[in-house]
Amino acid sequence: MREKKTALKFFTVCQYQQEEDYLSTMHAQGWQLAKIIFPCFYQFEQCEPKKVAYRLDYNQEGLANKTEYVQMFSDCGGEYLFEFCGYSYFRSQSERSRGQEEIFCDDASRLDLMKRVLRGRMIPLIVMFVLVILPQFAVTTLGYGGGGGVQEVLSVCFLLLTMLYLVIFGVTAFQFYQYEKKIWPEKTGIKYKYCGIFGFIVLIVLCRGLFLYFGWTLRD
Amino acid sequence: MIATDAHIKKVYVPMTETGFYILLCLRQPNHGYGIVQKVKELTKGEILLAPGTMYGSLSKMEKDGLIRFVREEEKRKSYVITALGKEVLEIEMKRIERLHRNMEEMRE
Repeated sequence: MREKKTALKFFTVCQYQQEEDYLSTMHAQGWQLAKIIFPCFYQFEQCEPKKVAYRLDYNQEGLANKTEYVQMFSDCGGEYLFEFCGYSYFRSQSERSRGQEEIFCDDASRLDLMKRVLRGRMIPLIVMFVLVILPQFAVTTLGYGGGGGVQEVLSVCFLLLTMLYLVIFGVTAFQFYQYEKKIWPEKTGIKYKYCGIFGFIVLIVLCRGLFLYFGWTLRD
Repeated sequence: MIATDAHIKKVYVPMTETGFYILLCLRQPNHGYGIVQKVKELTKGEILLAPGTMYGSLSKMEKDGLIRFVREEEKRKSYVITALGKEVLEIEMKRIERLHRNMEEMRE
């Protein structure tokens, strides 16, 4: 029976390359990825230390047509491990370094990957943010949440949550911006589009500030 | 006429090198890995198309009508270029020829 261990590691939506590097490092130390039990909980089992490449793809259509999808990667030397939350995990037995063992060979397709992830994972987050977290934050901070100590705690919780969400949105938008700029260096509209997105995020931060300010003054 | 389709123009004029090679190879029916091997042979190993890019590009092109599904053999789907695909490829080839012509002129 092979020895197993579980590790807790947090990677955001934009940090898929860091996640890939982490899994490769573990394998080089003698721990191969067995499965993922829960978001952020990676289960490893002992193996021979080897230099392998782990790659992630996010493709719902691929998962719907799994046979051909897996075969395509298998033909190119990638072993399909499993699927988790829409992400497909692949392992490559090659000895080549990171720069050469890739499942994407141009930035346009990397951007497509990010767009798929955006549609699949960010949109639910954004909906949650707009429909639940932001209103709850407003309600608890402005004093309509029922009063008392519980409301104060909730207010702080939602404040932290909104900050976390805004940071994730900001970082994701920035990574998108970097890819788009690399692919279309002559396009001038890109800067304005992202300035608009960042401006919107700043606006939300300002609104939060206003809510906080009114919440405190109303309480006195 | 693709000249009227704004979406096609935006995405495929000009097109990525990957897209170009896919359309070029699919003038004959072929599957994803067959294209990877053909391009490796054509470019003497310099260009290695990757599976993530390949799968995504083929799906996208099929949806946009540049290629169509032919048959499935041994777990691999084969595609072939459509009339629209040929039109778009022709535009790209003219662009490359112009680039090459200008390059040669400026060289002397």
